[in-house]
Parts: sequence; structure tokens; C-alpha cells
Amino acid sequence: MTPISKDRRLIISVVVFAAAVLLPAVVHDTFWLRVATEAIMWVGLALGFDVIAGYTGYLNFGHQAFFGIGCYATALLMMRAHWPFFLALAAGGVVGAVSALIIGIPTLRLRGAYFAIATWAVARAVQQGALMAGFTGGPDGMRTSEYLNPHFFYYVMLGVVGLTFFVLWFLLERAPFGLKLKAVREDQESAKALGLNPTHLKIKAFILSAIPTALCGGVFAYWVTFIDPNSTLGDLLSDQALVMVIFGGMGTLIGPVVGAVIIFGFKTVFWAYLSAYEVLYLIILGALIAASVIFLPDGVLGISFRRRSGRAKQEPTQPAAAASGKEA
Amino acid sequence: MELLPQALLDGILLGAIYINIAVAFSLVYGVLHIIDFAVGEWIMLGAFTGYHLTLLTKVEPFLLLPIVFVIFAGLGLALQPCIQRVLSGHKGNPTLMALVFTFGLALMIRGLAQTFFGFYSHSIPSHFSNGSYFFQKGSFFVTISSVRALGLVYAIILTLVLNLLLRKTDFGLAIRALAMQKEAAGLMGVNAKRTNLFLFALYVGVTAMTGVLIGVILSVASKMGPENSILAFFVVVLAGMGYLAGVPAAAFLLGIIQSIFLVYLDPGYTMMAVFGILYLILLVSPTGMFRRGM
Repeated sequence: MTPISKDRRLIISVVVFAAAVLLPAVVHDTFWLRVATEAIMWVGLALGFDVIAGYTGYLNFGHQAFFGIGCYATALLMMRAHWPFFLALAAGGVVGAVSALIIGIPTLRLRGAYFAIATWAVARAVQQGALMAGFTGGPDGMRTSEYLNPHFFYYVMLGVVGLTFFVLWFLLERAPFGLKLKAVREDQESAKALGLNPTHLKIKAFILSAIPTALCGGVFAYWVTFIDPNSTLGDLLSDQALVMVIFGGMGTLIGPVVGAVIIFGFKTVFWAYLSAYEVLYLIILGALIAASVIFLPDGVLGISFRRRSGRAKQEPTQPAAAASGKEA
Repeated sequence: MELLPQALLDGILLGAIYINIAVAFSLVYGVLHIIDFAVGEWIMLGAFTGYHLTLLTKVEPFLLLPIVFVIFAGLGLALQPCIQRVLSGHKGNPTLMALVFTFGLALMIRGLAQTFFGFYSHSIPSHFSNGSYFFQKGSFFVTISSVRALGLVYAIILTLVLNLLLRKTDFGLAIRALAMQKEAAGLMGVNAKRTNLFLFALYVGVTAMTGVLIGVILSVASKMGPENSILAFFVVVLAGMGYLAGVPAAAFLLGIIQSIFLVYLDPGYTMMAVFGILYLILLVSPTGMFRRGM
């Protein structure tokens, strides 16, 4: 029933990754390189979001908190403690993981809707904290040292996100961990009966979702040289990650990548040519979410899968992709 | 200490507003099991409708509440089939998808409101806006603005009316049956689809009326949605989701926490404290402070 076999999809991913590595050799315009860097960052955010939303079945409306925490941790360590960038970035990832642990322990015991609300509340509290605290610069934000090398940031971002993709691929598609998560998602009680510990698994997944997000945040902080609570801890970050994941296909690894590239491409074109209609963006984003839920429950990837898998619906092996849709 | 009675009273009056925000929302969760992320946006739309109707007709906004209710109940009737379709879908996790759907809806409404209503904040003119009562006993004193007192009266009436509706009518019986056991209610002849439809319409209408009230007491702005959504969520989670009887207590608690913070502690940290308390309560008791949520 898997229309494209797992191995072939891995090969496609490796080819796409290789093409991304070679991209700066073809694209010399720094504007487009910047666009590509940010598109890759969104791929990372969407992947992180999908680990907890698609694979584990928990909507995290506070995803932006991890991004912002990674941003601020990296920026603060670089600017106040004068750590070198990569060390600060790694520390940002660790801080993200620890905050995921702290946020996850109480919230992951909650059921679906409670979780969405609780994480949103936590993220708003983190944003409020960043606005009020002195060491973050409050609403004025803070600057990081300038390093104007677009190729450097392109490759760092690509490295972080590429590593994330392949690590997630291994953990969620190859190792038993992915199957365990899906078992918890489908039926927590049965998973317990099988000897799994749902809370542990969910916390691990939450941490796994936070680390790439925090790392992307850390690179972002050094890259854009200026961060403030609205741009790094605002709701819009989660909103967009959610659209990307839903639009691309929840519960897959390729879905968020495709969704992130399409939605970010749309956003770039929109801001470049239609910026006079700024608020329209919110309307289109919202309409896209609502319409995807009704018409594309498996995302754009689901369209091709559904058409091609029509014959072999009864096969016992579940596909990695479009799994969320097929398991009732 | 002189400020304590005033702080408590303000908290109660604020809590009354939160009851209005959360009561229909809790009811709809109890039956339909959907979290409507657009709850704050209905409030915002209702407030703007009240604002423009008041300017147009020059009538006291409280008298316009039935008109607002009818408009938004109609909107709810038109919208509910979409949500029903998502909820009864067999793809993935329907309740999660319904959550995402209302979330998209909220974004869309916010964008539309910013386009058509602009970014400025307004206030709905009312005859009660300026009146206030002053009481003093020794060194203690309280001031009640009449419009906020009216908000409390409105909250009490709304709660009583909803209560009567649930206890005394066939519609209410159907709602309670559905909340208890969906399949069994269907077997007993409850038309789930129709009840859900009217319940959602009732919810959107009541929430929009609350918007008018908030527009009179506080202000109307196209960005007011998310804050009100958060407040509605807070109250409902604190009360235990779908546990209607817990709503007033949770709303008053939230109001009092907020006003105590405003008076005695740093007002900048109010929302942070509110979220911190929500976090702690969920940590200790995931089903709300009465352990009666679902």
C-alpha cells in the first residue's frame, strides 16, 4: 500500500538534500539565498511540530516557545557570556530540551484539547516573561553580533535541518520508537496494555520536537542579528508551522517539508508582490487551514497517495506516510 | 488594607464578565467535544456588530442584544455543518482536526476584521457608562460603576436562563443526554445532528452578545480576540472542561487573582501569574479544580 517504498523515499530525500547543498553554487543572488535559508528554517520548525502533532497526536500551540527559547539562549550566551557561536547554539538546543522536559511533564498528561490550551498558555507566559524581564531587553529586543556571510548561515541552517530530518527518519521510520509513538497516538490504553509507558514516550517525543526548533531559533538569532519577543515568541510562528504540517500531510516526514516549502514560497511571493494587502495574509492562512482540514485531511501528499493506494487498502503494513489518515 | 474590599469587588465584577465569556463555550465543549479557538473572535465580531448598530440606531446597546443574538445564531447555524463534517469524518483524529479547523477560522475572522474594522479601538456608548455608586464605612470604601454592576446582573440572568433551558426544556434534556452518552441518547430518539446544530447556534449567539457587553464595559478592537479566547480557555480548564457548574467559581477566582495582582503586585506580571496558576492547577489536577472535567 506504500505507493513509494520507504527506501525510495529516503533516496529522494537524500537527492533533495544534495541538491540543497549544491544550491549556492547555482544561486548567486543573496536575496534568493536568504529566502532559501528561511525556507529551510521553516522546514525545521514544521518537522519539529510534526513529531508531536503528527506522530504523537498532540497539537502544540506553544511551539514558538521553543524557538524563542533557543533564540534567546543562544543570543544571551553569545552576547553576555561571549561564548563561540557553535557552543552557544548547542547550549541553546540543550536549554530547549530542558524546557521541553519542564513544560512536558505536567502538560503531556493532559488530553488533546487541554494540551493545546496548556501549551498555548505556557508560550504566552514565556512571551510575557521575555517582554518583562530585564536581561532579554524587554520589548526592545536585543542585538547579536553581526556576521554577514549568507553562505555560512545557509549551510548551518541546512546542516541543522538536514541532520534533524535524517535523525527523525531513523528514529521515527526505522527504529521501534516511531511505532511506539503511533501506538500511543492511536490508543493510549492499549499501548499501556502492551507494556509501553505513554508518558515517557510522549515526553521523549516532546523533547525530540523541541531540540530542532530551538536549534533553528539559535541559528536564526545569529543570522538576523536582532530578536524581540514578538518575532521569536509570537503566535504566528506556531500558526504557520501548523499550516505547513496540515497542508503538507500530518504524521509524515516528507509532508512538513513539502508543506513548508510551498507555504513559505507562497508567503515570500505574497510579501514581495502583495505587501499592500498585508492583512489578507492572515485571511488566506486561515482559509487555507480550514479548507485543508475539510478537503485535504491527508495534506497535498495525501492526494497522490490516496489515488495510488486505492487498490491495496487491506494490506496489513501501514505506510509511514499518510498513516494518520488511514488509521481511523 | 483599605483597598482590599475594592480589589475583591473588582475581581468579582471582572469574574462576572468571564462567566459570560465562558459559560456557553463550556456547554458546547461538554456536548460537541470541540474546542472552538474562534471563541474570542465571536466576541470581537459581536462587539463590532453592537458598536455599529448602536451608532446606526442610537439605541441603548443593551436593547440591541436580541438582534445581535439572532444575527450570530444564524451565522452559527450556517457554520455548524462544516464543523459537523470534520467531526464525523473518519480520517485521522476528528477532534484534533476540528480544533485545527476552528483555529483556521479564527485566523480568517481576525484578518477579515482587521481589513474591515481597522486597528483602532472603540467603545460602545451606553447610558450607563458614566454612572457609579460609592459606599463608605470607616476607612473602607468601594466604588461600583453601574455598567459593571449591570455586567454582573447580566451574568446571573444568563446563567439562570441557561440553567432553566437545560433543566426544563426538551432541548435541554437532549443536550444533557448527548453530553452523558452520545450513542444511548441516539437510541432514545435524540436527534444528535439537530441538537448539535442548535446548540452551536446558541453558543455563537450568546458569545456574540457577551461581545457587546465587553464593548460597553471595556473596549472594542479587532485584536481583542486572542485575549478573550485565552480567558475563556482559562476559565473552562480551571472549571474542568465541560463541567458547567464549575464555571462561575473558576471565573470569580480568575477575576479576583487578576484584581489582587493589579492592586497589590506588579500589573505587568498579571497574565504571567494567571498562566502560572493554570499550569500548577493542571499539574495537580488535570481535570480542573473540581476534578469533574472530562
